Amino acid sequence: MRPLTQAALAGLAFAVLAPTAQAGAEPLEVVASFSIIGDFAGAVGGDRIRLTTLVGPNGDAHVYEPRPADAAATARARVVLVNGLRFEGFLDRLIEASGTTATVVEVSKGAHILPANGKADDHHADEDKAEEHHHDGSGDDDGHAHAGHDHGAYDPHAWQSVDNAERYIRNIAEAFCLTDRDGCAAYQENAAAYIEQLEELDAEIKSAIAGLAKDRRTIITSHDAFGYFEHEYGLHFLAPKGLSTEADASAADIAALIRQVREERAAAIFVENITNPRLVEQISAETGLKPGGALYSDALSDQDGPAATYLDMMRHNLTTITSAIAGS
Amino acid sequence: MTVRFHRPMILACAIALSGYPACAEQIEAWRVFVADHSEPVVRAFDLREGKEVDRFALAGAARLHRSQSGRVVYAVQRDANRVQMIGTGIALGDHGDHGDITIEAPALLDAILAGRKPVHLVERDGTVAAFFDDEGIARLVSEHAALEGTEEPRDIASSAPHHGVAIPFGVHLLVTRPHPSDPGALPVGLDLFGPDGAPTGDHAPCPDLHGEAQSGNLVAVACATGLLVVAPGPERPDIRHLPYATGLPEGKTTKLVGGKGLRYFLGNFAARTLVLIDPTQAEESFRPVELPTRVVDFATHPAKPRFALAFTEDGYLHRIDVIAGQIDRSVRLTAPYSMDGHWSDPRPRIAVAGPLIVVSDPLAGHLHVVDTETFEPTGAIAVEGEPFSLVAVGGAGETH
Repeated sequence: MRPLTQAALAGLAFAVLAPTAQAGAEPLEVVASFSIIGDFAGAVGGDRIRLTTLVGPNGDAHVYEPRPADAAATARARVVLVNGLRFEGFLDRLIEASGTTATVVEVSKGAHILPANGKADDHHADEDKAEEHHHDGSGDDDGHAHAGHDHGAYDPHAWQSVDNAERYIRNIAEAFCLTDRDGCAAYQENAAAYIEQLEELDAEIKSAIAGLAKDRRTIITSHDAFGYFEHEYGLHFLAPKGLSTEADASAADIAALIRQVREERAAAIFVENITNPRLVEQISAETGLKPGGALYSDALSDQDGPAATYLDMMRHNLTTITSAIAGS
Repeated sequence: MTVRFHRPMILACAIALSGYPACAEQIEAWRVFVADHSEPVVRAFDLREGKEVDRFALAGAARLHRSQSGRVVYAVQRDANRVQMIGTGIALGDHGDHGDITIEAPALLDAILAGRKPVHLVERDGTVAAFFDDEGIARLVSEHAALEGTEEPRDIASSAPHHGVAIPFGVHLLVTRPHPSDPGALPVGLDLFGPDGAPTGDHAPCPDLHGEAQSGNLVAVACATGLLVVAPGPERPDIRHLPYATGLPEGKTTKLVGGKGLRYFLGNFAARTLVLIDPTQAEESFRPVELPTRVVDFATHPAKPRFALAFTEDGYLHRIDVIAGQIDRSVRLTAPYSMDGHWSDPRPRIAVAGPLIVVSDPLAGHLHVVDTETFEPTGAIAVEGEPFSLVAVGGAGETH
């Protein structure tokens, strides 16, 4: 199978040729790969779309295995929204299995993307459109050596920067407009309203972080999901696991992290909603840092939880972090 | 004879920009290992050439399993009281942005799991567990140790001899609990054993337990009442019971296979009915698939997750669309094979080698090869004796 990025040119052609009017009063069938993108899609699409979110609340897209029902939903969809940057390791096989003719949109396209080593990189910044493609159905066969769930050259957790979330929203609105021209005004209106909320959120985060002492800004999480938050807002995150939750941290990784925690006088430690808390608990016991609560990194909470929407998630994380540092 | 691949076996000579040899050859290779029904021998075939590349004399007739990595074939010899292991000679390495393949001659390994009456064998995450029914003991060894011959097997004992199974699950082990009063009856549930090899005290009831499979991070075990579904938990495996749906016909599952690429299970249920099982669905978790005649063998398709396969006693191979939940193609391959008679009579078995499906035809002495997409036969390989249980290993990668 060609990687999604390699299929981009074919996809752009499809996006131009795709039908642009929504048939009758039927809602636009949309699949979102995981809960945060699902929340964005709902905010932009409103009641004009019928949304299926594959990896739901508290689900870990790093290790997700799709089900036949996911393939059926993907087959029905006209738009499939994905993060891209190799975040959804399951995606290529799901697209192939479904045989979908949907437009697949990488909503991170055009965002300010960080490389896997954490240094800033404008790799995608010169592109102002979501990457779209029409899948051609070709694919790897089992037994081929797969790329697995590694994230390649880039950190995929771009939504942890609110500025990037704005790009996600714009890309989603554009994708909906291309597929459902009649609904475009509504999508643009919804997107504009949501972006206003994002801008308020961004200001809140910057203000709260500015109030933290500069020498109390190192914190520990389970995996490297907060690189964009660090880059955007000036906290320093350490984690025993890498960009994916799939690979276990080695004993040497943990020992090195514990040394680093002591050297950098880390202020707080947090579990994540998608990872096993035992590793963080072990580091907590070794370092004496008390766990400051749960952060939501790669998935929202369920409706009854504190992070049922992206806006709630970012505010919850901010409050949890600042409270823990203040109490440390 | 030569089997037609739609994709050339040597795909390209790639030019890498940095860090790799200037010219890395892309190679695809598949081997099929076939156990004879009546002779204690396993034959290895190169699927592209359609030729036997080696044969291995065993102590008894065997049923074959392959390891998840494809580096080892396990030959379970129930009547010869042992499990022998064959190194397939094909190893795939994942390097993130590319994969490597190394191809060597297959070889019978020194490692043997010996004990009375091995029947069920499960390999998961690099550890294989063979259960010896007449001892009530599971013997475990890692695939790596089997290849290197560096480790003695570890024994885990259930409470009594019985027709059981042991399933490695992370640092834990799931082992069947025998029927309390009838040693000949099927097990009554699963017991959880901890990393120290001792029972944890956790028990999941499962009357008439028989049949197990894995898909993604789940393991499913079939019972008279439904399935036990085992998922990773924060401290220990989470085991829940999924009852059969009320709308199903009379029956139960006694054999399961697990999807790759899509997370689902496929089981037998009644003589002409299979069930597609999605244990995470709130509704329609069991979808029956009706077959034209009684099922002989069935399998999932590791390379094309949309499809599963079933062979029926009228000699037809069927392709099942697991999303639609129905047969979408059928092809006649063999003369009829009746399911009447002894359970262990020689009957066709299915293996999948990338884009190709291989079906053994014991009475005709053939391996039939079918292309998954066209679902048409692409050739047949003549085999001495009665080709029966078979597995395929291989893949594609770069050679440096």
